[in-house]
Amino acid sequence: MSKVVEISPTTRHEGHSKLVLKVNDAGIIETGNWCSITPVRGVEKLAVGKTPEQVPKIASRVCGICPIAHTLAATEAMEASIKCEIPKDALMLRHILQLANRCHSIALHDILILPDFYIPGTETKINPFTAEEPVRTVAKRIQRLREIGQTIGQIAGGDCIHPRNTRVGGMYRNVSEQAKTKMYDLAKEGLTLAHAQAEFMIAVIRSYHKRDFVDVGGMKVALPKTLGYHDQGYLATHAFYGSSSQDECPSWDISRFKEARPWDWYMGEMTVDLEEPRYPIGGTTKVGTKVNPQMEACTGIPMYDGQPVEVGPRARLVEYKNFDMKGTQGQNIAREMEYQDCFYEMIDCLDALNTSGKVVADYIPNGDGSLGWASNEAPRGTDVHLARVKDWKVQYFSMLVPTTWNFATCSKALEGAPWQLAEVIMRGYDPCVSCATHMIVLDEDNKLVAQKLIQ
Amino acid sequence: MGAELGKYKLAVSARSADKEVQKVAQDGGIVTSLFGFALETGIIEGAIVAASKEWAAKNQDRILMENSNFEMAEPWRPYPAIVYNKAELIAAAGTKYNISPNVSLIKEATRSFGLDKVGIVGTPCQMQAIRKLQLYPIGARDVGASIALAVGIFCMENFPYQSILQLVEDHAAMKMESVKKMEIGKGKFWVYGKRGQVVQLPLKVTHKYEQPGCHVCLDYVANLGDISTGSVGSPDGWSTVFVRSKIGDDVWAKAMAAGVFETKAIESVKPGLELVTKLANEKITKNKATVEARKTFGVGKGLRIPYI
Repeated sequence: MSKVVEISPTTRHEGHSKLVLKVNDAGIIETGNWCSITPVRGVEKLAVGKTPEQVPKIASRVCGICPIAHTLAATEAMEASIKCEIPKDALMLRHILQLANRCHSIALHDILILPDFYIPGTETKINPFTAEEPVRTVAKRIQRLREIGQTIGQIAGGDCIHPRNTRVGGMYRNVSEQAKTKMYDLAKEGLTLAHAQAEFMIAVIRSYHKRDFVDVGGMKVALPKTLGYHDQGYLATHAFYGSSSQDECPSWDISRFKEARPWDWYMGEMTVDLEEPRYPIGGTTKVGTKVNPQMEACTGIPMYDGQPVEVGPRARLVEYKNFDMKGTQGQNIAREMEYQDCFYEMIDCLDALNTSGKVVADYIPNGDGSLGWASNEAPRGTDVHLARVKDWKVQYFSMLVPTTWNFATCSKALEGAPWQLAEVIMRGYDPCVSCATHMIVLDEDNKLVAQKLIQ
Repeated sequence: MGAELGKYKLAVSARSADKEVQKVAQDGGIVTSLFGFALETGIIEGAIVAASKEWAAKNQDRILMENSNFEMAEPWRPYPAIVYNKAELIAAAGTKYNISPNVSLIKEATRSFGLDKVGIVGTPCQMQAIRKLQLYPIGARDVGASIALAVGIFCMENFPYQSILQLVEDHAAMKMESVKKMEIGKGKFWVYGKRGQVVQLPLKVTHKYEQPGCHVCLDYVANLGDISTGSVGSPDGWSTVFVRSKIGDDVWAKAMAAGVFETKAIESVKPGLELVTKLANEKITKNKATVEARKTFGVGKGLRIPYI
C-alpha cells in the first residue's frame, strides 16, 4: 500500500519548495510532486503599462541567482518586439555578462550539492565548511570562482546581481581598455580554476554514483543506477547564450508551447502517513498533516509539444553536443562540463570586443505591439521572456523561467527512486524556485484563467 | 571650540615643486601634484576630478553623461571625469566654484572603467558621502575598498551653476565664455577675464546665491579626507595641507620623499592656522544657527537635519 511522505521545505537551493511523495512499502517513489511554495510576486502584472526600459529591471528582481538571464531575456524580448538590432560590441558585453553569471552560479551550486557526496574512497561525507583538506582547497577555489564571476559581471554589467548597464537598444556604456584587460586576466585565472574544479566535481559525482548504498540521516539507502532518469526530452535554445524571435532561425517555437494549471497536474489532497524523524534536517512532516499539492503549488506547468521537458546544462549538451548521460549523475556532470567552456567563450568574446565601439543602436523604434520573445540560457536552463511593446509601453509581458520547466520534469524523474534521495535528484536541477513562481496561466484563447492564486 | 580643524597628523603649508603645475594651479597645486604622483607610482589607477566642458567634450568616454550635446553645455560647468595621468590632470586643473558631483562617478569607476584603486577629490560633504558609502555599501558593492585616496578641499559654501552664471554675467558683467579664472580670496569673489579684466565682488553680494543646503554643514576643512587642502592660511601660490589618515600620511610621506612638494612650517607662514581656525569657527557658528533654526521649521516636528 502506498504511503505519503512530505519533505518540506527542501533545502540547499534557492527559494522555497517542497516534495510530496507517494511511496510503496519499500520506500520507492510511485508518484512524486515537487512544487514551489514561494509566494507569487506577479511581476508580469507589474510590467503592464511600464516602459520597456523599466520592465527588464523589474523582471530581474524576481530573483538574485540568475537575474542576469532575466535582465537579458527581458531586454531582448523588448528589442524583439520593437525590432531593434543592437551593435556587435553591446552583444559581446551581454555574452560576457551572461557567462560571468554562469561561472558564479555553477560554483554556488557546487557548494550546495557537495554535502550529498563522499570524499572519494572514504565513507566521509563532504562538509564544504570544514578546515580540513582536500575540502578547504575546494571551498577556497569555489569562492574565488564566484568572486571572478561576480567581478567580471560587475565590470561588464555595472552590477553583478542586478546588472544596470543593459538597456533596450544595447548597453549604456562600453568598458574601458583597462577594464577589458582586467576581465581578460580574471577569465584566464578562472579558466585554470574551472578546469580543476570540474575535474574534482566529476570525480566526486562519479564515485558517488558507483556506490551501492548511501547514508541519509543515518539511514542506509540503496542507490539505484537509474537515479533521476526520465524520458521527457530536452529543450535548449543555444549552446550557451540564447535565441530570439528576431533570429533568422529561431530555436524556440512559441506555437509548440502550452501551459497547464497545477491542479490539472499535481496530486490532490492527501494525508501524510509516513514520517521519518531521522531525515535531515529536523525530519519529515508529521503524520496526519494534510497536504494538497494541487492548491499549494505556485507555478504553472509549461509544456513543449504537450509534455514537460528538461532544461539546463544537460539539455544544452544533449541538443548541441550529443551528450548522452542520463539521470542525476549526467545532469551534475554536464554542469561541470560547461564550466571551462564558460571561460573559453568569455575569452573569445573579449577578443572580439572593441572598447571604443558603439554600444547603443542608432535607432530604437517605439514598437507596434507585435509579439517578440527572447530566450536566454540561464545556468539552470532556458529562460524565455515574451513581450508586446506599443508606443514605448509594455502591453504584455510573460516569463517562462528555467525551474518552471523543470518542476514537472523533475517530478517525473523522482519516480523509481528511494524517497530519501528525492532531494538529491531535485538538487541536480540546480533549482532556483523564486523566479519560477509568478504564475499567469492562459487558456486556449489566451485568456487569463488562473488569477485565483494571485488575488 | 577646539575641534574645528578635525583630527590631523600634520599641518603644513605647501606648493607643488612642478613649475608646470604651478602655472595652471588655483593655489599651491596640491591636488594636481598629489594625484599626479599617486598615478605615476601606482597608488591609484585613476582619479575622479572636476573637468572642464572642453576637456569632457574631447574625452566623452571618461565622463558619466551619455549622448551629451556639448554644443549646448555651459562653460565653467564642471564634469566629473576619470583621468589616468598627469597630463590629463593638468588639463582638468583649477577650481570651478560650482557643484561637481564627483561621487556620482565613483561606482562606475570600479565598474566599466575597471579601476581597483581610485582617487577622488571633493568638498567636505563629498568626503562625508564617500565615508558613509564605505561604511554602508548599499548599492555600492566593492566600491568602498577601491577608494585608495580621498582628498578633501576646504569649503565655506558652494554655488549652483545658475548662481555662478548670475554672479559672472550680471554682477561682474562678463560673459561666461570669456572668464579665465574665478577665485574667492581676501574676502572677495574675483573674476578674471581672458582679456585681462578683473572684477571683484564683495562676498556680501554672493551670499544669497549660495546653495541653501550648505548652510547646515559644520565642516570647513574636510575632516574626513585622507588629506585636505585649501588656500586659506597660506600665502598666495601656497596651500594649507592637513594630513589626516594613515593612508594620507603614507602617501604624503612618499610624495615628500620624491620631492613633489615644497613645504614651509605652518607656524612660519602668515596668516597661518589662526585664520583657518577663525573661518572654520565662523562657518560652524553661522551654520549651527541655521541648524537650530531648522528645528523650528515644519508642522510639529522640524526639518530633518542631515548632519551629525
